[in-house]
Amino acid sequence: MALDPGKQLERNARLKELLARTALSDQKAFAELYRLTSAHLYAVALRILREAPAAEEALQESFVNVWHHARSYVAAKSQPLTWLTSIVRNRCLDQLRRREVATVTLDDEEEGLDVATEDPTPLDMLLLGADARAVGACVEALEASQKQAIALAFFQGLSHGELARHLRQPLGTVKSWIRRGLERLRTCLDAAGAGR
Amino acid sequence: MNLSRPDRAEALAAEYVLGTLRGRARARFERALDTDRALGDAVRSWEERLLPLAEALTPVAPPDRVWRAIQARLQTARTPATSFWSSMSVWRGLALASLAVVVVLATLLLRPTAERGEGAVIAVLATKDAKASLVASADRFGRYLTIKAIERIDVPADRSLQLWMLPAGGNPQSLGVIETTTLARVALSAPADQALRNIPALAVSLEPRGGSPTGLPTGPVLYSGPVQRTY
Repeated sequence: MALDPGKQLERNARLKELLARTALSDQKAFAELYRLTSAHLYAVALRILREAPAAEEALQESFVNVWHHARSYVAAKSQPLTWLTSIVRNRCLDQLRRREVATVTLDDEEEGLDVATEDPTPLDMLLLGADARAVGACVEALEASQKQAIALAFFQGLSHGELARHLRQPLGTVKSWIRRGLERLRTCLDAAGAGR
Repeated sequence: MNLSRPDRAEALAAEYVLGTLRGRARARFERALDTDRALGDAVRSWEERLLPLAEALTPVAPPDRVWRAIQARLQTARTPATSFWSSMSVWRGLALASLAVVVVLATLLLRPTAERGEGAVIAVLATKDAKASLVASADRFGRYLTIKAIERIDVPADRSLQLWMLPAGGNPQSLGVIETTTLARVALSAPADQALRNIPALAVSLEPRGGSPTGLPTGPVLYSGPVQRTY
């Protein structure tokens, strides 16, 4: 969905209108909203959950939520796609949390942790996404280790512990990469006037 | 979790949005979000910063069953006014051809009492996709309506089917809860030709066990059909 700025404005206006109509229980608007955004949101869920059935469930739950809570979007003041993405991501992270609770005693290291094998890599995507938002310079400014840790956490939903295992680094090191990386990203984005 | 220090709250908001705030810490943070407006603002700012990165993902079309499942979930939760009348528009759109089929079918299924030559009132109730599912019939001067399921209808244990008269331009009026495992009968307030005189259609909705608590349909309309007269 990396669009040029004009198209992006146009799309956002359309999505806002559809959300407003969905808030009034307009089923046609809701169907159109699904048609326009589900492939993007499904990709988000699929990356984090890594299994189609779980991603389908997350998408389903998210849209049921959107139907019932579209009214609260008006107050959220976010970009429509950002708002929708946050709903899907939170749903996915909740699922991961439930899984963690269920498997906390048999944490089997690398198994089921099949990341960074697909193309493009999370790092590529971080740069791609950054390009789309004209904040490439900010992501570029991160150190390679920070960039990689943030990309894996964001796109694949890896926890600190999983990141440490995946990157073969001590937990504390990974945590500080993330923390410092986020701080730098914020300083840079805010200075660039983005991230509003 | 100490959220009183702004820099700490900011850092937690960032990790919450990034997804690395996990487990119980995530749950605690979410509870704090419900009441702490500043924390909510910090989260929104981080969402605006980070979530656009997700736009780099190549879209993947989800299977059709996801949309169907969403629709099915919303069907059972919809508010009465919209769901009822939007469903009603469906049968109004039924083609005349399918109506003819339906009337023939109804005649075949009529109970013998309706064949005494004095005429009958019949309604074949069909699903949205025009599949005939129930036949409601009454002798012209009969005091009750008999409802027969054309095929087995499974109703969840905590739900009931409720039959409604749909007056032209008025609110639906309940004829009562019906059983579909056997022949169901509902009493009419007057002989059928009078009781159903200004009733162009009947419908069956899915309601909480024992029937709608509001006196109007609250669940999805499963079957509906026009009222026909053979006299």
